[in-house]
Amino acid sequence: MIENFKINSNEIDKIKKISKEERDFRINNLNFFNEKGFPNKRQEDWKFSDLREIVQKNFKKLNVNKVNSKVKKVNLIKDFDHNYIEVINGELKSSNFKYEETNKIKIKNFKNENFLQESKGNPLICLNHALSDKGYHIEIEDNYKLKKALIIYNVFTEDLKENILNSRNKIKIGKNCELHTIELVINDSKYKFINNVYENIILENNAVYKNICIQNEKNDGYFHKFSKNKLSSKSKYSSFIFPSGSKFNKLDLEFNLEGEDSECTLQSASFLNKDDHQEIKTNMNHLAPSCKSYQKVKNVLSSYGKGVYQGKIYVKDIAQKTNAYQLSKALLLSDNSEFNSKPELEIYADDVKCSHGATSGNVDEDSIYYLMTRGLNRKESVKLLIDGFLSEVVDMIKSNSIKKFVRSKLQRQIHGY
Amino acid sequence: MLVIKNLKASINKKDILKGLNITIKPGELHAIMGPNGSGKSTLANVLSGKNGYEISGELKYQGESLKEIPIEERAQKGIFLAFQYPTEIPGVNTNNFLRTSLNKVRKAKGEKELDTLSFLKLLKEKSSELGIDEKMLSRQLNVGFSGGEKKKNEILQMKILDPNLTILDETDSGLDIDALKTIADGVNSSRDKKKSFLVITHYQRLLNYINPDFVHVLSNGKIIKSGCMELAEELEKKGYKKIN
Ligand SMILES: Nc1ncnc2c1ncn2[C@@H]1O[C@H](COP(=O)(O)OP(=O)(O)O)[C@@H](O)[C@H]1O
Ligand SMILES: [Mg+2]
Repeated sequence: MIENFKINSNEIDKIKKISKEERDFRINNLNFFNEKGFPNKRQEDWKFSDLREIVQKNFKKLNVNKVNSKVKKVNLIKDFDHNYIEVINGELKSSNFKYEETNKIKIKNFKNENFLQESKGNPLICLNHALSDKGYHIEIEDNYKLKKALIIYNVFTEDLKENILNSRNKIKIGKNCELHTIELVINDSKYKFINNVYENIILENNAVYKNICIQNEKNDGYFHKFSKNKLSSKSKYSSFIFPSGSKFNKLDLEFNLEGEDSECTLQSASFLNKDDHQEIKTNMNHLAPSCKSYQKVKNVLSSYGKGVYQGKIYVKDIAQKTNAYQLSKALLLSDNSEFNSKPELEIYADDVKCSHGATSGNVDEDSIYYLMTRGLNRKESVKLLIDGFLSEVVDMIKSNSIKKFVRSKLQRQIHGY
Repeated sequence: MLVIKNLKASINKKDILKGLNITIKPGELHAIMGPNGSGKSTLANVLSGKNGYEISGELKYQGESLKEIPIEERAQKGIFLAFQYPTEIPGVNTNNFLRTSLNKVRKAKGEKELDTLSFLKLLKEKSSELGIDEKMLSRQLNVGFSGGEKKKNEILQMKILDPNLTILDETDSGLDIDALKTIADGVNSSRDKKKSFLVITHYQRLLNYINPDFVHVLSNGKIIKSGCMELAEELEKKGYKKIN
């Protein structure tokens, strides 16, 4: 149990080669974090996920020291050809773009480049601004479409123990480019740790970005990610996220549709059980005319699993002809599981199509009866229904090999139901 | 095959079946006709083991009391119910479901599970007999199926699972004449000395094509009259009210 967790400013002095300006920026942010501490449920954005309580309950101590882990070789997946980068405890370790024209792709360790990053009053973002010193930075030159998907192997090593990791990543996709990424979380850690990420994704005009994020092995990680995404004119962003299995996971995703005719799709499917706590929070900001957004969030919850979806759609006065859609569906398998959904609409334009819906309920007994009359027992029937419920999202993945890969991951997850 | 004696069933304190007797021998096809709300679907549900009913009386299938046997085991022992309103199951692929179901039943019978190839062969054969478009089978189970497609899918399952006792609950309702004939053909081609059928229907129409051995009239939870095809014809002319 830790209370009054504060971080000494000499941690910032351990970060090499920083300017006075950067140091001030970091110190200011650190002071903010030290003053506020971990966010708690009195803050509107955290009312369903009291991280302060969760941290106090689960951590005896926390250290911000750099981990110098020895890393075993990552097992690359063999299901389909791909480019990859290896990210170990948040730090970029290697990259391989053997299927591409490498002069079109810039990849480097992330450096802080501007010190005006907003924090939205979120102490965790401030903590990240103060301490992050690692991450990746990928830039795709204009007019280049990658031939194969890029897998981001996000490895957490077994020697992590009550660490807080802070990293920041940036992906910039130039005009008329196309990039597909698959983010795979591989967690070898046996102990608890906190991973705090700041992510920035920029789609220039006409860029296409497709992303699939899979994080589903049971683990003792506590994750927070703030992701800021910019969509320029006619760009298309599609994201599938399959998060689950973490003790705590909060994805705070901000999408800014800044260019006309841009499109953003976000779909997620999660199976949460055994005290998993997960929150997906989105801010879909329609800032220009004729943009489309689509969000579908599906959760299956059992044995003390807790899920939250806070989805906000904002439509600026000039954003006429906006088409925004949001749907949350939850399937509750046990009385002790919990799901909270809070949709929010803030609309200042008048020519807008906007719809949202949320349902949550138990498994359908008629469906179970039907399946049982076909020879399946109750457990098998429920499993089939869970699988079907989540498959509706998986089935939207276009590539067959990737779909198959994701499906097998999900099936492993619900196998233990 | 099936012996029902003085069967009573109630749910939520409402008595629905009030002392029902039917005996079906191997090879026989019995039709049950009756007005809406007379308890036809309840009888079908009680036979396939749906939970929630309070039951008394005798219910024997192949000499064994069904009362303690759970739903899936009844299915594995060869009881099949074609639903009046087949349930839509989102996200579950029809094809995969049919295979899972068949293999559960085969496994319970001590038979080898079918591999994908032999299953697809069987599926192709049976679905073309019923004029089912293969595209339908790659869709989600019953989701967005038309009324006729749903009913054909039920008969397809019957064909694939090859049960001993088939209960059809108003499979003919709402079908056009072509679909009705397809379904009658499906039933007729499955009939043999060992297989029994309980065909629940509202109209005589289907019975014209499948020739029942016996016709029973169910009213207010009881069989009020039994006979053969002539009874169905009489019902069609006079309506249920005049029969007793
Ligand atoms: N779960 C239930 N709870 C209460 N009443 C029911 C229930 N199921 C059926 N009933 C009632 O029992 C009667 C018989 O229903 P059902 O067996 O569906 O009739 P049928 O199939 O002949 O039209 C009807 O009056 C119906 O309203
Ligand atoms: Mg009925």
